[in-house]
Amino acid sequence: MSLEGKVALITGAGTGIGKGISKVLAERGVRIGINYNSSEDGARDTLEQVRALGSDGILLKANVADKAQVETMMKTLAEQFGGIDILVNNSAAQKNLGLMDYDEAGYDLVMSVNLMGYFLCSQASLPYLKEAKGGRIINVSSVHGKRPTDFDVVYAMTKGGIKMLTRECAIEFAKYGITVNTIEPGAVQIGTKSGKPRPIVPADKVVDEHRRRGGRKFPLGRSGIPSDIGYLVAYLASEESEFISGAAIRADGVSMLM
Amino acid sequence: MLKLKDRVAFISDADHPSGRAIAKKLADEGARLVLNSRSNGASIAGDVASYEKAGAEVLVTSSALVTTEAVVSVLGECVAKFSRVDMLIHNHNVVTKMDIEHCDEETFKRALDENTKTAFLCTQIFGKQMGDIGGGQVVYVSSIHDEKPTGSAFLYSIAKGAVKMLCREAALDLGRRDVRVNLIELGPVEGDNERFASEISDLYLDYQTRIPSTHLGTYEDVANLVWFLVIDESRFLNGADIRMDGGFTLHYMDHKMRKLTDAARG
Repeated sequence: MSLEGKVALITGAGTGIGKGISKVLAERGVRIGINYNSSEDGARDTLEQVRALGSDGILLKANVADKAQVETMMKTLAEQFGGIDILVNNSAAQKNLGLMDYDEAGYDLVMSVNLMGYFLCSQASLPYLKEAKGGRIINVSSVHGKRPTDFDVVYAMTKGGIKMLTRECAIEFAKYGITVNTIEPGAVQIGTKSGKPRPIVPADKVVDEHRRRGGRKFPLGRSGIPSDIGYLVAYLASEESEFISGAAIRADGVSMLM
Repeated sequence: MLKLKDRVAFISDADHPSGRAIAKKLADEGARLVLNSRSNGASIAGDVASYEKAGAEVLVTSSALVTTEAVVSVLGECVAKFSRVDMLIHNHNVVTKMDIEHCDEETFKRALDENTKTAFLCTQIFGKQMGDIGGGQVVYVSSIHDEKPTGSAFLYSIAKGAVKMLCREAALDLGRRDVRVNLIELGPVEGDNERFASEISDLYLDYQTRIPSTHLGTYEDVANLVWFLVIDESRFLNGADIRMDGGFTLHYMDHKMRKLTDAARG
């Protein structure tokens, strides 16, 4: 499963899941376009880690909801590394507001970043992915594309939209040999504690204390970490996954079934 | 006994054939109607006259419903006339033919505003009012294309994908205030083969034959389901998406499609 020498654009790569994906792909020799909008320090840290892993990257500041900025970002990345093979749409805005608490500006913001941003990046990357022979679009969504959040109505709406954007892209871009898939992470620990994975606890070792900490919600013994999503991205970016398109793969430690 | 006697229904796109069929059904069942009309009532004048002749009270509004201010204002008109709204029927279904590769930002925003933002704002503002008066119903007339891609109108399908999640969120939020929220995933009706004609997908090729019975759906079918979803007999339905497509989307590679009979061909 070689990704050596490929070029990936990862949106929202300064923090959390985007950082985790960047590191996993860098380990496999992928050169990374590290997109960020506000998390400049985080993006610099991602670049350092990508280089420490023996790969290379470039910082790309852009608001994914701004078409001109997105197009410039794609062009800059392609000029730097000679093309784009993989787009990982990952950036998301979240307000943590219920139905009655959203105002119109908040609605517009979350819709434009989470849904229009995925569309704009997919569209703007297309000329490069066509050239790539086996281009890949991987949309990081959420279990909340199916299950409501009960804490952020518009966030869930955008994830419902991403599900259909993935399916439409999959059938429209099939003629270019590009596959398009969705990953639906469950709760993922992000931030400083997420650097080192905790081992999965075997079922016979799960103790009461562990259950109290949420073991019943996460039967495999832990919540997600960014590299869990990164490994799945690496698979969906590989040649071995070429028959998989328009799919949504849940990565949630079984939590949505509980 | 009329099941909807004096209940007040708001229909978001009353000029659309689905809106006209729903209005007729609800009026027949005794409801008072707020018909939000794109033509300011012109294209439904005959319908309104017939409802009024039969004794129904009707208010015609004309709001684009894409800003908070506009929806608050139209709710104000409803409350001024009827003092309340008991049910919201959101049936905005605007299909924009456009591929992803060539879609511009303005077209994207307009399609999402029309199909999704109207649903969000109406749910929020009418939903609050219904919660305040102790209950109500929201029904979205949506589409099988909240699951099935079109290959020709991606803006429509992503908009409807978002509305599906709005339905589920609102079912939790408003459900705690005795407002039930449900969604109809409507399958093929006459003309969908043109509305969704695609160079990529053969979904609508001989579309009648993909329905096991070879009968297309009608807006009267929609109206009957809307009626069921707003009466008390459906009280345990909340957050449901009901696929009403005659079995259209159950095919895989069309192995056993029926041949069209002359009768089915019309």
